Amino acid sequence: MKKILIIDDDEDVVEAMRFVLDKRGYKVITAGDGNKGLTHARAEKPDAVILDVMMPGLDGFEVARELKGDPQTKGIPILMLTAIKDKTGFDFQKDVNDPDWLPVEDYCNKPLDCEVLVEKIDRLLLK
Amino acid sequence: MKSTPKDDVIEKKLADQVSWLISLRWIAVLGVTGTVFTVTQFFNIPVEVWPLYGVTAFLAIYNGLFAWVMPFLRNRQLHSAIRVLANLQIFLDLTCLAFLIHFSGGVENPFYFYFIFHIIIAGILLSRRETFVLATYAVMIFLLIVLGEQYGLLPHHRLPGVFAVSLHENFTYVVGVSFVFVSALYIAAYLTTSISDRLHERERSLTRANELLGEKDKIKSEYVLRVTHDLKEDLAAIHTCIEPVQKGLAGRLNEEQTNLLSRAKERSKQLIVYVNALLEITRLKLTKKAEMNSFSVMELIQEISDSIGPMARHEHKLFEVQVDPKVSLMKGVRVYVQEALLNILKNSLKYTPEKGTITLRVQMEWPWLRMKIIDTGIGIPADELPKIATEFYRATNAKALYKKGTGLGLSIAKKIVEMHRGTIDIESKVGAGTCITLAIPLTL
Repeated sequence: MKKILIIDDDEDVVEAMRFVLDKRGYKVITAGDGNKGLTHARAEKPDAVILDVMMPGLDGFEVARELKGDPQTKGIPILMLTAIKDKTGFDFQKDVNDPDWLPVEDYCNKPLDCEVLVEKIDRLLLK
Repeated sequence: MKSTPKDDVIEKKLADQVSWLISLRWIAVLGVTGTVFTVTQFFNIPVEVWPLYGVTAFLAIYNGLFAWVMPFLRNRQLHSAIRVLANLQIFLDLTCLAFLIHFSGGVENPFYFYFIFHIIIAGILLSRRETFVLATYAVMIFLLIVLGEQYGLLPHHRLPGVFAVSLHENFTYVVGVSFVFVSALYIAAYLTTSISDRLHERERSLTRANELLGEKDKIKSEYVLRVTHDLKEDLAAIHTCIEPVQKGLAGRLNEEQTNLLSRAKERSKQLIVYVNALLEITRLKLTKKAEMNSFSVMELIQEISDSIGPMARHEHKLFEVQVDPKVSLMKGVRVYVQEALLNILKNSLKYTPEKGTITLRVQMEWPWLRMKIIDTGIGIPADELPKIATEFYRATNAKALYKKGTGLGLSIAKKIVEMHRGTIDIESKVGAGTCITLAIPLTL
């Protein structure tokens, strides 16, 4: 069973995602902030990470860089939850593959559409 | 010296006034030359013209120098140098006038009252102290001339044929004239500086009030941003929780359950659209300086066309793109320009009936890049045109057609265009269509 780590501080969103992914047959583990997320990622070696951006403490950008900078975790694909344009006025989509900007494999706008979420996670795990 | 914005306003005003003084001095050069010429040629008063023309030439030379140096000081915002220049100009003007008076009759020449004009100008341009110092200098050189000529310390250049008796030797007359002159000068200095101090004070308080309003507005926007952001988080969570249930992931739902949940989800989605638009416009208001980059207009239009084209086809509307081949790069914030165009195009799409046409036309008219969005939609009533770009405003016919709408799309586009120092122009006829032109300068 593939394991997915959700790092997000919004418990309700986490609960909804956990439910959807659980139904799809994934094992879901969760972390409520960036630091816990990093610890879980290193200890549990998940197959994919779903990462929120706005979190107290370490934010999603920092967590993503940390994960991709660590040989232990750099192979784990990350799906980032963000409407990045809202925060920076920067079109994130164009830079998904730019390692200097943000080292994540894919992103998904909030609010989540459960079909889109499942489809993106399925695709990330196929790679 | 520490400079505050309100001081900057006054310094900038001083620079304007110094430039104005330089223009006035050209008139003075012409005036003096004309007067000397007229007096000698038409009134046959044989004054010694060459010293007078000499002083006038000196006046013209230093004015030329000031006119030459002024743009340089202005561009570098050398405010203290401009202030020194203003003092120096009035000092030199007073000196020139003193020489002119001395060479054309001294106390016999009533033009000495022109000293007052210089003091009035000083009172407008300079501080109270500076004005009184200059007034005292004017008094000193005036007294030097009249008393010097009276006591024979200075040669007297008479105005032959004007007065039967030489006035400069009449002690009582000289003292009387000096008294009137000196008092008039100081009264002028006092009155002008008092009025101008009061005006400066008012200007400062208006500037301050304006700053306060700006700050208040900023605080309000920040508050709206924070609240809207929190609202959005909650809404997104509600939406994320309803969605899987509505889609039957938590067990099969009957028709009523699906129907009601779909309605709830739809409403939360609408609210999210609204909150996003509100976030967008508030962020734009708080953005002081956005980083502008050069980007290809053609590529941007292609992307826009790729996203609007399928939507138009889906709704059975024709979407045309016409781009002037001369169009190449523009400078700006790409995502914002894209957002402005998408907002307007989506409006056009929404309010244009089936089989209608939406045209995006991009033209180069140096130094403007004009982007026109022309549709054959429902149009905007003429009396509502002035209000149409106001935040939250929706035209009555638009509201009648669709109850929902944020009323923010066009205001966001307007803010974006203003951020690029451009203009937005809206022409419309009810039932015929609308043409919105965004003009952005290519010289940003």
